[in-house]
Amino acid sequence: MVNGDKVILMTRLASYEKKEGKKYIPVTKFFRSDYLSMQIMKSFLYATLVFGILVGLFVLYDFEIFMEDLYKIDIITLVLNIIKYYITFVVVYCIATYVLFSIRYVKAKKSVKKYYHNLKKLNAMQKK
Amino acid sequence: MRNLLELREKLKKIYANHEVYILPILKFLLAFLALKMLNSRIGYMGSIDNLGIELIVALTCSFLPTTFIVVFAGLFSLLHMYAISLEVAIVGLGVYMVMFFLFFRFGTKDAIIVLITTILAMMGIPVVMPIVVGLLASPLAAVPVVCGLIVYTMISTISINATTISSMGGDEATAKLRLILDGLIENPGLIVMIASFVITIFIVYFIRRMSVAYSWTIAMVAGAIVNLVILLVGDLMYNINLSLFVIFLSSLLAVAVGKIIEFMCFCVDYSRIETLQFEDEEYYYYVKAIPKMLVAEQDKTVKRINVQRNNVQHKTSEPISHQSRIVSEGKDGAVKRSTTQGNVRQGNVTKNSVTKNSATKNSVTKGSVTIGNERKRTSDSSNDWLDDYEDLERF
Repeated sequence: MVNGDKVILMTRLASYEKKEGKKYIPVTKFFRSDYLSMQIMKSFLYATLVFGILVGLFVLYDFEIFMEDLYKIDIITLVLNIIKYYITFVVVYCIATYVLFSIRYVKAKKSVKKYYHNLKKLNAMQKK
Repeated sequence: MRNLLELREKLKKIYANHEVYILPILKFLLAFLALKMLNSRIGYMGSIDNLGIELIVALTCSFLPTTFIVVFAGLFSLLHMYAISLEVAIVGLGVYMVMFFLFFRFGTKDAIIVLITTILAMMGIPVVMPIVVGLLASPLAAVPVVCGLIVYTMISTISINATTISSMGGDEATAKLRLILDGLIENPGLIVMIASFVITIFIVYFIRRMSVAYSWTIAMVAGAIVNLVILLVGDLMYNINLSLFVIFLSSLLAVAVGKIIEFMCFCVDYSRIETLQFEDEEYYYYVKAIPKMLVAEQDKTVKRINVQRNNVQHKTSEPISHQSRIVSEGKDGAVKRSTTQGNVRQGNVTKNSVTKNSATKNSVTKGSVTIGNERKRTSDSSNDWLDDYEDLERF
Protein backbone atom coordinates (compact mmCIF):
# COMPACT_ATOMS: atom_id res chain seq x y z
CA MET A 1 0.00 0.00 0.00
CA VAL A 2 1.19 3.50 -0.77
CA ASN A 3 1.75 5.48 2.39
CA GLY A 4 0.41 8.97 1.65
CA ASP A 5 2.25 10.70 4.50
CA LYS A 6 5.51 9.11 3.45
CA VAL A 7 5.05 10.15 -0.16
CA ILE A 8 4.30 13.74 0.90
CA LEU A 9 7.37 13.84 3.13
CA MET A 10 9.62 12.33 0.45
CA THR A 11 8.30 14.82 -2.12
CA ARG A 12 9.04 17.70 0.24
CA LEU A 13 12.54 16.40 0.87
CA ALA A 14 13.22 15.90 -2.83
CA SER A 15 11.89 19.37 -3.60
CA TYR A 16 14.12 20.88 -0.90
CA GLU A 17 17.17 19.02 -2.20
CA LYS A 18 16.46 20.31 -5.69
CA LYS A 19 15.87 23.95 -4.75
CA GLU A 20 17.05 25.51 -1.48
CA GLY A 21 19.05 22.47 -0.47
CA LYS A 22 21.41 22.90 -3.40
CA LYS A 23 22.50 26.19 -1.91
CA TYR A 24 22.26 25.44 1.79
CA ILE A 25 23.34 21.81 2.28
CA PRO A 26 26.96 22.36 1.08
CA VAL A 27 27.25 25.39 3.40
CA THR A 28 26.44 23.38 6.51
CA LYS A 29 29.16 20.84 5.78
CA PHE A 30 31.67 23.41 7.06
CA PHE A 31 32.22 24.80 10.51
CA ARG A 32 31.22 28.44 10.68
CA SER A 33 34.80 29.66 11.08
CA ASP A 34 36.06 27.53 8.17
CA TYR A 35 33.23 28.65 5.95
CA LEU A 36 33.73 32.32 6.72
CA SER A 37 37.53 32.16 6.33
CA MET A 38 37.12 30.47 2.97
CA GLN A 39 34.70 33.12 1.78
CA ILE A 40 36.89 35.96 3.06
CA MET A 41 39.90 34.49 1.27
CA LYS A 42 37.89 34.30 -1.93
CA SER A 43 36.74 37.88 -1.41
CA PHE A 44 40.33 38.98 -0.84
CA LEU A 45 41.34 37.48 -4.19
CA TYR A 46 38.36 38.96 -6.01
CA ALA A 47 38.88 42.37 -4.41
CA THR A 48 42.55 42.32 -5.45
CA LEU A 49 41.57 41.46 -9.01
CA VAL A 50 38.89 44.17 -9.13
CA PHE A 51 41.26 46.74 -7.66
CA GLY A 52 43.78 45.82 -10.36
CA ILE A 53 41.13 46.34 -13.04
CA LEU A 54 40.12 49.69 -11.56
CA VAL A 55 43.73 50.89 -11.34
CA GLY A 56 44.25 49.71 -14.93
CA LEU A 57 41.20 51.65 -16.12
CA PHE A 58 42.34 54.69 -14.14
CA VAL A 59 45.81 54.58 -15.70
CA LEU A 60 44.32 54.17 -19.18
CA TYR A 61 41.94 57.06 -18.53
CA ASP A 62 44.80 59.40 -17.65
CA PHE A 63 47.43 57.60 -19.69
CA GLU A 64 48.80 60.63 -21.53
CA ILE A 65 49.03 62.78 -18.39
CA PHE A 66 50.46 59.83 -16.52
CA MET A 67 53.18 59.29 -19.12
CA GLU A 68 53.98 63.00 -19.31
CA ASP A 69 54.29 63.36 -15.55
CA LEU A 70 55.93 60.00 -14.96
CA TYR A 71 59.31 61.52 -14.14
CA LYS A 72 57.84 64.33 -12.04
CA ILE A 73 55.67 62.06 -9.90
CA ASP A 74 56.83 61.05 -6.45
CA ILE A 75 56.64 57.31 -7.06
CA ILE A 76 56.86 56.37 -3.38
CA THR A 77 53.93 58.62 -2.44
CA LEU A 78 51.94 57.27 -5.40
CA VAL A 79 52.62 53.65 -4.45
CA LEU A 80 51.79 54.38 -0.78
CA ASN A 81 48.52 56.02 -1.85
CA ILE A 82 47.64 53.06 -4.04
CA ILE A 83 48.41 50.66 -1.17
CA LYS A 84 46.28 52.79 1.17
CA TYR A 85 43.32 52.67 -1.22
CA TYR A 86 43.87 48.97 -1.84
CA ILE A 87 43.83 48.12 1.86
CA THR A 88 40.71 50.24 2.47
CA PHE A 89 38.95 48.63 -0.48
CA VAL A 90 39.87 45.08 0.51
CA VAL A 91 38.99 45.59 4.18
CA VAL A 92 35.57 47.09 3.39
CA TYR A 93 34.82 44.31 0.92
CA CYS A 94 35.95 41.60 3.36
CA ILE A 95 33.81 43.10 6.16
CA ALA A 96 30.80 43.09 3.82
CA THR A 97 31.59 39.47 2.93
CA TYR A 98 31.87 38.52 6.60
CA VAL A 99 28.48 40.07 7.46
CA LEU A 100 26.64 38.66 4.45
CA PHE A 101 28.05 35.17 4.67
CA SER A 102 27.49 35.03 8.44
CA ILE A 103 23.80 35.73 7.81
CA ARG A 104 23.77 33.16 5.04
CA TYR A 105 25.40 30.54 7.28
CA VAL A 106 22.81 31.03 10.04
CA LYS A 107 20.01 30.84 7.46
CA ALA A 108 21.48 27.68 5.97
CA LYS A 109 21.81 26.03 9.39
CA LYS A 110 18.18 26.76 10.24
CA SER A 111 16.94 25.59 6.88
CA VAL A 112 18.97 22.36 6.88
CA LYS A 113 17.91 21.61 10.46
CA LYS A 114 14.31 21.37 9.25
CA TYR A 115 15.46 19.15 6.42
CA TYR A 116 17.26 16.76 8.77
CA HIS A 117 14.24 16.72 11.06
CA ASN A 118 12.10 15.60 8.14
CA LEU A 119 14.73 13.00 7.19
CA LYS A 120 14.55 11.58 10.70
CA LYS A 121 10.77 11.48 10.45
CA LEU A 122 11.06 9.56 7.20
CA ASN A 123 13.55 7.18 8.74
CA ALA A 124 11.17 6.51 11.62
CA MET A 125 8.34 5.86 9.13
CA GLN A 126 10.45 3.36 7.25
CA LYS A 127 11.34 1.47 10.42
CA LYS A 128 7.65 0.98 11.24
CA MET B 1 -13.24 41.11 -6.70
CA ARG B 2 -14.41 37.53 -6.58
CA ASN B 3 -13.83 37.18 -10.31
CA LEU B 4 -10.32 38.55 -9.93
CA LEU B 5 -9.58 36.14 -7.12
CA GLU B 6 -10.89 33.28 -9.21
CA LEU B 7 -8.73 34.45 -12.10
CA ARG B 8 -5.71 34.53 -9.79
CA GLU B 9 -6.39 30.98 -8.65
CA LYS B 10 -6.82 29.88 -12.26
CA LEU B 11 -3.54 31.54 -13.24
CA LYS B 12 -1.78 29.87 -10.34
CA LYS B 13 -3.23 26.54 -11.32
CA ILE B 14 -2.26 27.00 -14.96
CA TYR B 15 1.28 27.92 -13.91
CA ALA B 16 1.51 24.97 -11.55
CA ASN B 17 0.27 22.54 -14.20
CA HIS B 18 2.30 23.92 -17.09
CA GLU B 19 5.38 25.30 -15.36
CA VAL B 20 7.58 23.11 -17.47
CA TYR B 21 6.44 24.97 -20.63
CA ILE B 22 5.72 28.44 -19.22
CA LEU B 23 9.16 28.98 -17.68
CA PRO B 24 11.14 28.26 -20.88
CA ILE B 25 8.72 30.46 -22.84
CA LEU B 26 9.26 33.34 -20.40
CA LYS B 27 13.03 32.82 -20.55
CA PHE B 28 12.86 32.79 -24.33
CA LEU B 29 10.86 36.02 -24.41
CA LEU B 30 13.19 37.75 -21.94
CA ALA B 31 16.30 36.66 -23.83
CA PHE B 32 14.80 37.65 -27.17
CA LEU B 33 13.73 41.06 -25.83
CA ALA B 34 17.18 41.67 -24.31
CA LEU B 35 19.03 40.75 -27.51
CA LYS B 36 16.58 42.67 -29.69
CA MET B 37 17.02 45.81 -27.57
CA LEU B 38 20.81 45.48 -27.54
CA ASN B 39 20.91 45.04 -31.29
CA SER B 40 18.61 48.00 -31.85
CA ARG B 41 20.76 50.21 -29.59
CA ILE B 42 24.30 49.17 -30.38
CA GLY B 43 23.96 46.69 -33.21
CA TYR B 44 27.30 47.49 -34.83
CA MET B 45 28.40 43.92 -35.47
CA GLY B 46 26.30 43.00 -38.48
CA SER B 47 26.88 39.25 -38.18
CA ILE B 48 25.05 39.00 -34.84
CA ASP B 49 22.50 41.72 -35.54
CA ASN B 50 20.33 39.16 -37.18
CA LEU B 51 16.87 37.86 -36.31
CA GLY B 52 17.90 34.25 -36.88
CA ILE B 53 20.83 34.51 -34.45
CA GLU B 54 18.61 36.28 -31.90
CA LEU B 55 16.05 33.50 -32.12
CA ILE B 56 18.62 30.73 -31.87
CA VAL B 57 20.32 32.29 -28.84
CA ALA B 58 16.97 33.04 -27.18
CA LEU B 59 15.89 29.45 -27.79
CA THR B 60 19.15 28.18 -26.27
CA CYS B 61 18.63 30.43 -23.25
CA SER B 62 15.15 29.02 -22.71
CA PHE B 63 16.67 25.63 -21.82
CA LEU B 64 19.56 26.98 -19.75
CA PRO B 65 19.53 28.54 -16.26
CA THR B 66 18.38 32.17 -16.15
CA THR B 67 21.91 33.46 -15.53
CA PHE B 68 22.85 32.44 -19.07
CA ILE B 69 20.52 35.10 -20.48
CA VAL B 70 22.69 37.67 -18.71
CA VAL B 71 25.87 35.97 -19.96
CA PHE B 72 24.67 35.96 -23.57
CA ALA B 73 23.44 39.55 -23.35
CA GLY B 74 26.85 40.53 -21.94
CA LEU B 75 28.66 38.68 -24.75
CA PHE B 76 26.48 40.31 -27.40
CA SER B 77 27.11 43.77 -25.99
CA LEU B 78 30.88 43.13 -25.81
CA LEU B 79 30.93 41.96 -29.43
CA HIS B 80 29.08 45.08 -30.54
CA MET B 81 31.49 47.23 -28.51
CA TYR B 82 34.40 45.43 -30.14
CA ALA B 83 32.89 46.19 -33.55
CA ILE B 84 33.01 49.89 -32.69
CA SER B 85 36.46 49.86 -31.15
CA LEU B 86 38.76 47.64 -29.12
CA GLU B 87 39.11 50.33 -26.44
CA VAL B 88 35.35 50.45 -25.94
CA ALA B 89 35.28 46.67 -25.57
CA ILE B 90 38.08 46.89 -22.96
CA VAL B 91 36.06 49.38 -20.92
CA GLY B 92 32.95 47.20 -21.25
CA LEU B 93 34.85 44.10 -20.19
CA GLY B 94 36.38 45.97 -17.24
CA VAL B 95 32.94 47.16 -16.05
CA TYR B 96 31.43 43.68 -16.42
CA MET B 97 34.35 42.04 -14.60
CA VAL B 98 34.10 44.49 -11.70
CA MET B 99 30.40 43.69 -11.39
CA PHE B 100 30.95 39.98 -11.71
CA PHE B 101 33.73 39.69 -9.17
CA LEU B 102 32.38 42.16 -6.65
CA PHE B 103 28.67 41.53 -6.62
CA PHE B 104 27.62 38.35 -8.31
CA ARG B 105 29.61 36.10 -6.04
CA PHE B 106 27.02 36.95 -3.37
CA GLY B 107 24.30 35.40 -5.50
CA THR B 108 23.99 34.78 -9.21
CA LYS B 109 20.19 34.86 -9.14
CA ASP B 110 20.40 38.64 -8.74
CA ALA B 111 22.04 38.86 -12.16
CA ILE B 112 18.63 38.77 -13.80
CA ILE B 113 17.74 42.01 -11.97
CA VAL B 114 20.64 43.71 -13.77
CA LEU B 115 19.25 42.61 -17.10
CA ILE B 116 15.65 43.59 -16.33
CA THR B 117 16.76 47.01 -15.02
CA THR B 118 18.75 47.59 -18.21
CA ILE B 119 15.80 46.56 -20.40
CA LEU B 120 13.36 48.77 -18.49
CA ALA B 121 15.79 51.69 -18.66
CA MET B 122 16.06 51.19 -22.42
CA MET B 123 12.25 51.25 -22.58
CA GLY B 124 12.27 54.52 -20.62
CA ILE B 125 10.56 53.12 -17.52
CA PRO B 126 13.38 52.29 -15.07
CA VAL B 127 11.30 53.84 -12.25
CA VAL B 128 9.25 50.63 -12.10
CA MET B 129 12.27 48.66 -10.93
CA PRO B 130 12.92 50.10 -7.42
CA ILE B 131 9.24 49.67 -6.51
CA VAL B 132 9.13 46.07 -7.72
CA VAL B 133 12.47 45.19 -6.11
CA GLY B 134 11.47 46.86 -2.84
CA LEU B 135 8.26 44.82 -2.79
CA LEU B 136 9.69 41.47 -3.77
CA ALA B 137 13.34 41.38 -2.74
CA SER B 138 15.66 42.48 0.04
CA PRO B 139 17.50 45.83 0.21
CA LEU B 140 20.59 43.97 -1.00
CA ALA B 141 18.93 43.80 -4.40
CA ALA B 142 19.70 47.51 -4.72
CA VAL B 143 23.21 46.42 -5.83
CA PRO B 144 22.09 44.67 -9.05
CA VAL B 145 19.67 47.53 -9.77
CA VAL B 146 22.61 49.97 -9.55
CA CYS B 147 24.65 47.65 -11.79
CA GLY B 148 21.77 47.65 -14.29
CA LEU B 149 21.74 51.44 -14.33
CA ILE B 150 25.52 51.52 -14.89
CA VAL B 151 25.24 49.05 -17.79
CA TYR B 152 22.40 51.07 -19.32
CA THR B 153 24.37 54.32 -19.01
CA MET B 154 27.41 52.69 -20.58
CA ILE B 155 25.37 51.33 -23.49
CA SER B 156 23.62 54.63 -24.11
CA THR B 157 26.95 56.53 -23.91
CA ILE B 158 28.40 54.15 -26.49
CA SER B 159 25.30 54.45 -28.63
CA ILE B 160 25.42 58.27 -28.55
CA ASN B 161 29.17 58.51 -29.19
CA ALA B 162 29.52 55.58 -31.61
CA THR B 163 29.96 57.78 -34.68
CA THR B 164 32.56 59.96 -32.96
CA ILE B 165 34.47 56.91 -31.69
CA SER B 166 34.41 55.23 -35.10
CA SER B 167 35.81 58.35 -36.74
CA MET B 168 38.70 58.55 -34.27
CA GLY B 169 42.01 57.13 -35.38
CA GLY B 170 44.04 54.37 -33.74
CA ASP B 171 46.33 56.94 -32.08
CA GLU B 172 43.39 58.34 -30.11
CA ALA B 173 42.86 55.27 -27.98
CA THR B 174 43.01 57.23 -24.73
CA ALA B 175 40.45 59.72 -25.99
CA LYS B 176 38.07 56.87 -26.84
CA LEU B 177 38.47 55.38 -23.38
CA ARG B 178 38.00 58.74 -21.77
CA LEU B 179 34.83 59.39 -23.75
CA ILE B 180 33.19 56.22 -22.42
CA LEU B 181 34.52 56.50 -18.87
CA ASP B 182 33.46 60.16 -18.68
CA GLY B 183 29.96 59.02 -19.55
CA LEU B 184 30.06 56.85 -16.44
CA ILE B 185 32.10 58.90 -13.97
CA GLU B 186 31.12 62.45 -14.81
CA ASN B 187 27.46 61.79 -15.24
CA PRO B 188 25.30 63.52 -12.61
CA GLY B 189 22.18 61.93 -14.13
CA LEU B 190 23.50 58.48 -13.26
CA ILE B 191 24.37 59.51 -9.71
CA VAL B 192 20.92 61.05 -9.16
CA MET B 193 19.25 57.90 -10.52
CA ILE B 194 21.39 55.63 -8.33
CA ALA B 195 20.65 57.71 -5.22
CA SER B 196 16.93 57.88 -5.92
CA PHE B 197 16.61 54.17 -6.72
CA VAL B 198 18.58 53.00 -3.69
CA ILE B 199 16.60 55.24 -1.32
CA THR B 200 13.32 54.14 -2.94
CA ILE B 201 14.18 50.45 -2.59
CA PHE B 202 14.98 50.92 1.10
CA ILE B 203 11.81 52.93 1.76
CA VAL B 204 9.55 50.48 -0.08
CA TYR B 205 11.16 47.51 1.64
CA PHE B 206 10.94 48.89 5.16
CA ILE B 207 7.38 50.22 4.84
CA ARG B 208 6.01 47.03 3.33
CA ARG B 209 7.54 45.05 6.21
CA MET B 210 5.70 47.19 8.78
CA SER B 211 2.68 45.71 10.49
CA VAL B 212 0.33 48.52 9.50
CA ALA B 213 -2.76 47.97 7.40
CA TYR B 214 -2.27 48.44 3.66
CA SER B 215 1.50 48.48 4.18
CA TRP B 216 2.20 47.31 0.61
CA THR B 217 0.07 50.05 -0.94
CA ILE B 218 1.56 52.70 1.36
CA ALA B 219 5.04 51.40 0.53
CA MET B 220 4.62 51.60 -3.21
CA VAL B 221 2.94 55.03 -3.16
CA ALA B 222 5.52 56.43 -0.74
CA GLY B 223 8.30 54.90 -2.85
CA ALA B 224 6.92 56.41 -6.05
CA ILE B 225 6.60 59.86 -4.44
CA VAL B 226 10.09 59.77 -2.90
CA ASN B 227 11.55 58.62 -6.20
CA LEU B 228 9.75 61.39 -8.05
CA VAL B 229 10.88 64.04 -5.56
CA ILE B 230 14.54 62.92 -5.57
CA LEU B 231 14.63 62.82 -9.37
CA LEU B 232 13.08 66.28 -9.60
CA VAL B 233 15.42 67.74 -7.00
CA GLY B 234 18.35 66.10 -8.81
CA ASP B 235 17.11 67.56 -12.06
CA LEU B 236 16.96 71.03 -10.52
CA MET B 237 20.39 70.71 -8.93
CA TYR B 238 22.31 69.18 -11.82
CA ASN B 239 20.11 70.08 -14.79
CA ILE B 240 19.93 66.54 -16.11
CA ASN B 241 16.99 67.23 -18.43
CA LEU B 242 14.50 64.76 -17.08
CA SER B 243 10.99 64.92 -18.47
CA LEU B 244 8.56 65.57 -15.62
CA PHE B 245 5.69 64.09 -17.60
CA VAL B 246 7.55 60.86 -18.38
CA ILE B 247 8.69 60.44 -14.77
CA PHE B 248 5.17 61.06 -13.51
CA LEU B 249 3.70 58.51 -15.93
CA SER B 250 6.45 56.00 -15.07
CA SER B 251 5.66 56.47 -11.38
CA LEU B 252 1.98 55.79 -12.04
CA LEU B 253 2.94 52.71 -14.02
CA ALA B 254 5.22 51.61 -11.16
CA VAL B 255 2.33 51.87 -8.69
CA ALA B 256 0.05 49.95 -11.08
CA VAL B 257 2.63 47.19 -11.46
CA GLY B 258 3.09 47.21 -7.69
CA LYS B 259 -0.66 46.75 -7.20
CA ILE B 260 -0.65 43.77 -9.56
CA ILE B 261 2.25 42.25 -7.64
CA GLU B 262 0.44 42.91 -4.37
CA PHE B 263 -2.66 41.21 -5.69
CA MET B 264 -0.70 38.17 -6.78
CA CYS B 265 1.63 37.86 -3.78
CA PHE B 266 0.04 39.58 -0.79
CA CYS B 267 -3.71 39.62 -1.16
CA VAL B 268 -5.14 40.00 2.32
CA ASP B 269 -8.44 41.22 3.71
CA TYR B 270 -7.67 44.14 6.01
CA SER B 271 -11.33 44.49 6.96
CA ARG B 272 -11.08 41.23 8.92
CA ILE B 273 -7.96 41.93 10.94
CA GLU B 274 -7.94 40.11 14.24
CA THR B 275 -5.90 41.42 17.12
CA LEU B 276 -5.23 38.77 19.68
CA GLN B 277 -3.57 38.85 23.04
CA PHE B 278 -2.57 35.83 25.07
CA GLU B 279 0.20 34.63 27.31
CA ASP B 280 2.15 31.60 28.40
CA GLU B 281 4.57 31.05 31.27
CA GLU B 282 7.30 33.20 29.75
CA TYR B 283 5.73 35.72 27.37
CA TYR B 284 2.78 37.96 26.57
CA TYR B 285 1.81 37.75 22.93
CA TYR B 286 0.21 40.56 20.94
CA VAL B 287 -0.72 39.05 17.62
CA LYS B 288 -2.24 40.67 14.58
CA ALA B 289 -3.71 38.13 12.19
CA ILE B 290 -4.83 39.21 8.72
CA PRO B 291 -6.77 36.64 6.73
CA LYS B 292 -5.70 36.01 3.17
CA MET B 293 -8.26 36.54 0.44
CA LEU B 294 -8.85 33.12 -0.97
CA VAL B 295 -11.54 31.66 -3.11
CA ALA B 296 -11.94 28.04 -4.03
CA GLU B 297 -12.15 27.45 -7.72
CA GLN B 298 -15.50 26.02 -8.71
CA ASP B 299 -15.33 22.40 -9.61
CA LYS B 300 -18.12 20.97 -11.74
CA THR B 301 -18.97 17.39 -11.03
CA VAL B 302 -21.48 15.37 -12.90
CA LYS B 303 -23.30 12.99 -10.62
CA ARG B 304 -23.94 9.78 -12.52
CA ILE B 305 -27.04 8.06 -11.37
CA ASN B 306 -27.54 4.60 -12.75
CA VAL B 307 -30.54 2.48 -12.00
CA GLN B 308 -29.73 -1.13 -11.41
CA ARG B 309 -32.93 -2.71 -10.34
CA ASN B 310 -31.43 -6.16 -10.01
CA ASN B 311 -29.42 -4.96 -7.00
CA VAL B 312 -32.43 -3.57 -5.23
CA GLN B 313 -33.36 -6.69 -3.34
CA HIS B 314 -30.37 -7.01 -1.08
CA LYS B 315 -30.02 -3.28 -0.59
CA THR B 316 -33.42 -2.71 0.86
CA SER B 317 -32.17 -4.31 4.02
CA GLU B 318 -29.60 -1.55 4.50
CA PRO B 319 -30.33 1.18 7.06
CA ILE B 320 -32.60 3.96 5.84
CA SER B 321 -30.16 6.63 7.00
CA HIS B 322 -28.23 6.23 3.74
CA GLN B 323 -31.11 7.81 1.90
CA SER B 324 -29.97 11.28 2.59
CA ARG B 325 -26.27 10.86 1.98
CA ILE B 326 -24.12 10.29 -1.03
CA VAL B 327 -20.44 10.49 -1.58
CA SER B 328 -19.17 12.07 -4.77
CA GLU B 329 -15.68 12.53 -6.00
CA GLY B 330 -14.59 15.89 -7.43
CA LYS B 331 -12.34 16.51 -10.41
CA ASP B 332 -9.40 16.95 -8.15
CA GLY B 333 -9.90 13.53 -6.62
CA ALA B 334 -10.95 14.90 -3.25
CA VAL B 335 -13.86 13.10 -1.78
CA LYS B 336 -16.68 15.46 -0.97
CA ARG B 337 -19.71 14.50 1.03
CA SER B 338 -22.92 16.11 -0.07
CA THR B 339 -26.43 15.88 1.25
CA THR B 340 -29.76 16.03 -0.46
CA GLN B 341 -30.65 18.92 1.81
CA GLY B 342 -28.02 21.24 0.34
CA ASN B 343 -28.45 24.29 -1.86
CA VAL B 344 -28.39 24.53 -5.64
CA ARG B 345 -25.72 26.94 -6.89
CA GLN B 346 -25.42 28.22 -10.46
CA GLY B 347 -25.17 25.86 -13.43
CA ASN B 348 -27.78 24.60 -15.85
CA VAL B 349 -30.66 23.31 -13.84
CA THR B 350 -33.37 21.57 -15.80
CA LYS B 351 -36.41 20.74 -13.80
CA ASN B 352 -34.60 18.30 -11.61
CA SER B 353 -31.12 19.03 -10.40
CA VAL B 354 -27.44 19.69 -10.91
CA THR B 355 -24.36 18.80 -8.95
CA LYS B 356 -21.82 21.57 -8.86
CA ASN B 357 -19.28 21.31 -6.10
CA SER B 358 -17.37 24.11 -4.60
CA ALA B 359 -15.18 23.79 -1.58
CA THR B 360 -17.60 25.75 0.52
CA LYS B 361 -21.09 24.62 -0.42
CA ASN B 362 -22.94 21.35 -0.43
CA SER B 363 -24.52 20.13 -3.58
CA VAL B 364 -27.83 18.71 -4.57
CA THR B 365 -28.41 15.48 -6.36
CA LYS B 366 -31.88 14.70 -7.45
CA GLY B 367 -33.50 13.40 -10.60
CA SER B 368 -31.82 14.15 -13.92
CA VAL B 369 -28.68 16.14 -14.63
CA THR B 370 -27.96 18.33 -17.63
CA ILE B 371 -24.55 19.92 -17.93
CA GLY B 372 -23.42 20.78 -21.42
CA ASN B 373 -24.56 18.05 -23.75
CA GLU B 374 -24.70 15.37 -21.13
CA ARG B 375 -28.08 14.22 -19.88
CA LYS B 376 -28.72 11.38 -17.48
CA ARG B 377 -32.16 10.42 -16.27
CA THR B 378 -33.25 8.41 -13.32
CA SER B 379 -36.28 6.23 -13.57
CA ASP B 380 -38.11 7.34 -10.53
CA SER B 381 -37.38 9.99 -7.98
CA SER B 382 -38.76 7.78 -5.25
CA ASN B 383 -35.85 5.39 -5.83
CA ASP B 384 -33.25 8.12 -5.31
CA TRP B 385 -32.00 6.80 -2.07
CA LEU B 386 -31.32 3.42 -3.66
CA ASP B 387 -29.32 5.04 -6.43
CA ASP B 388 -27.40 7.08 -3.94
CA TYR B 389 -26.62 4.00 -1.97
CA GLU B 390 -25.38 2.24 -5.09
CA ASP B 391 -22.96 5.07 -5.61
CA LEU B 392 -21.76 4.70 -2.09
CA GLU B 393 -21.27 1.00 -2.61
CA ARG B 394 -19.39 1.58 -5.87
CA PHE B 395 -17.16 4.12 -4.21
